Amino acid sequence: MPQDIGDTEAQLALDSIEQRRRQVIAEIDMPRWYWWGLAAGWVGLGILADLDHPWLTLAVTLGFGAAHASIASRVLSGRRRSRQLSVRADVVDPHIPALVIGFLLVMVAATVALALAADADGARHPSIMASVVVAIVVLLCGPALMAAVRRRLERRVVA
Amino acid sequence: MTTPARFDELIHPSTRLSIVALLASADWTDFAFVRDRLGLSDSALSKQFGTLEEAGYIAIERPVTGRRRRVRVRLTDAGATAFEGHVAALRAVIASAEAPPARR
Repeated sequence: MPQDIGDTEAQLALDSIEQRRRQVIAEIDMPRWYWWGLAAGWVGLGILADLDHPWLTLAVTLGFGAAHASIASRVLSGRRRSRQLSVRADVVDPHIPALVIGFLLVMVAATVALALAADADGARHPSIMASVVVAIVVLLCGPALMAAVRRRLERRVVA
Repeated sequence: MTTPARFDELIHPSTRLSIVALLASADWTDFAFVRDRLGLSDSALSKQFGTLEEAGYIAIERPVTGRRRRVRVRLTDAGATAFEGHVAALRAVIASAEAPPARR
């Protein structure tokens, strides 16, 4: 045990460790392209739905889902926002993937509800309308959701 | 299992403590990430990395991705143990300062 450092110095060292841990937590996120890709796919599927080719829409929707599942397995943990680092698994919140998937399911339900409401109201392109609205919500709320997760993790940091 | 408290003279200087603390929360980091967060020059950071690598606390890898040569750094098991022991030692210093003086 060191006898030559005081409690003030020890506290400063622990504060510095906490600060560095927060800097790593600040990197927990999904890559920016993930949200943009998702929003673009959403609008694309909305356009397809309004073209009235049910089989094509179904096939592309399944393809989009498969592509998303393959990408999501790599990015949904929030550990690889950039190529600059990989955040340790025990530092991130293990519930992030479930949280994002839950958010996306709510967005799917919102798209269907909006499209049905727009259709009932006589809109010419109800699916496009609904998908554009939800795509904007995804772009705004997706990153905001991750920011909330980071704030929660930062509050828990104690060196 | 809790790591026993062990003050580590090599880790304790503020720059090296910051480097090791950053690495302790990551599987690996890029050289540039550490440099930018700590506001160090390339040469100053290389020197600190050299010291930590010599002690066996970090491992430096140089994967080639595309045309770019990257430098990835990670904490070794020995480095992680030393860091945890050092944090425990720092906590012990604070705990002993906060403890009420023993009665005679």
